[in-house]
Amino acid sequence: MKKFLLLVRTGLRVNFSLSLLKPKYLFRNKKDLWMVPLIGLGLVGLIPVMFFYVRLVVRMYGWLSPLGQQAALLTFALLMGQFLVLVFGFYYVISAFYFSRDLEILVPLPLAPSQVLMSKFTVILVNEYLTVSPIVLPVLVTYGVLSRGGGVYWTRALLTYLLLPVIPLAVVSILVVGLMRLVNFGRKKDALILAGSLFLMTLAIGGQFMLNRSVGAVPDRAAAIRFLSAPDGLVQQIGSKFPPSIWASKALAWGPSGSGPLNALFSIGASLLLFAGLFLAARRFFYRGLIGLGEQTARRRTLSRDRLERGVGSGSRPVRAIFQRELRIMNRTPIFLLNGVLSVILIPILFVVMWNTGKRASDAAALMALVRSADATIAVIAAALFMTISGSLNGTSSSTFSREGGQFWMSKVIPVSPADQVRGKFLHSYAIAMLGIAASALVVLFVFHLNAAVVLASVALSMAASFVLTAVGMIIDLARPLLNWTNPQKAIKQNFNVLLAIFADFGVLFLLYLAVRLLGKLGWTGWRTPAALFVLLAALSAAVFKALKAFAARRYRDIEV
Amino acid sequence: MIDIRNVSKSYNKGQIKAVDDLTLTVRPGEIFGFLGPNGAGKTTTIKLIVGLLKPDAGTIAVAGWDTQSEPLRAKAVTTYVPDTPAIYERLTGLEYLNFIGDVYGVPKKARLERIEKWLDIFELASAVSSPIQSYSHGMKQKIVLIAALLPGPKVMVLDEPMVGLDARAAHHMKEMMREHCDAGGTLFFSTHIMEVAEKLCDRIGIIHKGRLIACGTMEELQTRNREEQSLESIFLELTDK
Repeated sequence: MKKFLLLVRTGLRVNFSLSLLKPKYLFRNKKDLWMVPLIGLGLVGLIPVMFFYVRLVVRMYGWLSPLGQQAALLTFALLMGQFLVLVFGFYYVISAFYFSRDLEILVPLPLAPSQVLMSKFTVILVNEYLTVSPIVLPVLVTYGVLSRGGGVYWTRALLTYLLLPVIPLAVVSILVVGLMRLVNFGRKKDALILAGSLFLMTLAIGGQFMLNRSVGAVPDRAAAIRFLSAPDGLVQQIGSKFPPSIWASKALAWGPSGSGPLNALFSIGASLLLFAGLFLAARRFFYRGLIGLGEQTARRRTLSRDRLERGVGSGSRPVRAIFQRELRIMNRTPIFLLNGVLSVILIPILFVVMWNTGKRASDAAALMALVRSADATIAVIAAALFMTISGSLNGTSSSTFSREGGQFWMSKVIPVSPADQVRGKFLHSYAIAMLGIAASALVVLFVFHLNAAVVLASVALSMAASFVLTAVGMIIDLARPLLNWTNPQKAIKQNFNVLLAIFADFGVLFLLYLAVRLLGKLGWTGWRTPAALFVLLAALSAAVFKALKAFAARRYRDIEV
Repeated sequence: MIDIRNVSKSYNKGQIKAVDDLTLTVRPGEIFGFLGPNGAGKTTTIKLIVGLLKPDAGTIAVAGWDTQSEPLRAKAVTTYVPDTPAIYERLTGLEYLNFIGDVYGVPKKARLERIEKWLDIFELASAVSSPIQSYSHGMKQKIVLIAALLPGPKVMVLDEPMVGLDARAAHHMKEMMREHCDAGGTLFFSTHIMEVAEKLCDRIGIIHKGRLIACGTMEELQTRNREEQSLESIFLELTDK
């Protein structure tokens, strides 16, 4: 037990860089102080989001409680939380259990496989509490206050919150450990991560499809009466695909008597059972699945003189070389590929799914009918906003320097000016944004049926907006690149720069919104507003790109590796 | 060819002085061996030469170009091999070499000739089309070496280049070093292997606690201490303070 706790403590220190959070390290580098107001701004920005979320919960409670269905709120929040754990947990589990570099240190130590694996599981669990808190905690607290929950409710709420990630995370962990033992994926970890992620994405889109269908289906009168007369009708409906969320919400909502304690027992029992299952799987399979891991094999074949000649390039073309390097590394690193390239086409795909299914389809159709009937200004700006968000709100530009990690020394020693290096990197990030813009333009054109002139104008506008956002993301990453990661996930998925860039992007979009309102007040209508926005964005693009190049010249000199 | 003047570099707000007022000149056509105990300042000096670190004081010039005011010109004539081969593992060996060729502007003919020659010598021809992540440590070290040779640089700076190489590759490496300098190039390298330094280097510098405590040919070092002493004995004697 002592060894296990020691491992957990070390794991948490490494995971959250706790040793670096001491004031003497935090404030040693005064250059990082610029982040303080930005983080403050981000937190201030979160307050209205939380406010609206809580208001929504209160309103829904008001709607559902006369029908006796208010517990469905809990089920919905718990289900969402557990689904998030399931999706994010897969990445965390696979990389922490099998592909983190500390395994090379831990495996030879006199530690039981179960101690190593369970300590890693515990560290991921702590991560998951942070992931689910913004979704689950506001609902648990608001529900408790509105239902005047007593001591029993708050005790069970705490227990539910603590147990919430255990079941989905244990399920993912057992599946991964079993899979790694049965199929030797060790040498094909990239394939495993890609296949797993695509599976989860399909699951997420399929889930969205099913949810829309079930919410959108209109029940007949008798079925509706039956459904509403059962106190757990809506709870059963929402949680039917994942019973643990039903147990947890019933444990909370059905008081100290009745089915409450029984469901609490179900919840605790399932968690314990899965935890024990994972413990046994760790003892039996963990190290066996690790054998051969980290080894990469490749078929060795000597290139013929002809092929070598064809493969060898010529001349000096630094910008193209940097662009190609970025492209190849991103496309061949599954975590980067998923968070960059795939994420830009995911948003348009989700819109298509929503458009084609269920009740939300009618909402979306109504919205689009409104957009189509409105004047060109609104149609162009709405479509351009959709395209910009699809193309630019991802971590590609805001992790472009961080992704180099320990290989940044090469960018420092090669005889290529920082301006040229930035050009190559910019082209790559911008190309990915273009991919998102193209995908969403197709959706706007062929699914939402906006006319071609509107689509063309919005493509031009979103290209200009994405230019600015790409450069802003790069400036943020260049200011504090994360270069000492050992797991590529840290460079893009867990990189704070990505979050900072999203805040900044929203800031830029908010400024554009103000500009549109100002133009409206000045009496500008029709095509004049998008045209003015385009000119503004083009000027802003030139200014931000110039600032990026100047900043790069300074930062490339100052960053020491 | 490498001119280091009164260079200092410290870490932790000056608490740790890694390089302390270092002055050193490496001449064209010279193999210069840089020795010192662990933490003496060898890697810091090398990183200062190639521009990975910024000196707190002093100047460094490579082929007459100041590394701070004319960094691109200095980099264009220098290549560097780090102590650990952290390179783009997702690229194939050939893609990596092409990247280096593109950024240094190596013409196709020279590129092809040099790639063929060094792939053959370092026995890497069968692996060059595979991703670097499938290479062993020694193979990665070899591909970094080939990449450093590809631009035909005037100055090569190598940090512990023998680590990870097998006996045959180490032998070829030493031949390459001599060949490079005989053709007028300059080579600055750090090592812990006294025998290599003794046999290969035209001049040797010993750094200890950030200060250069001895510099000269093997004969000069022997004369300064007691005659007929091995480099190992001189090194141990000088750094035992």
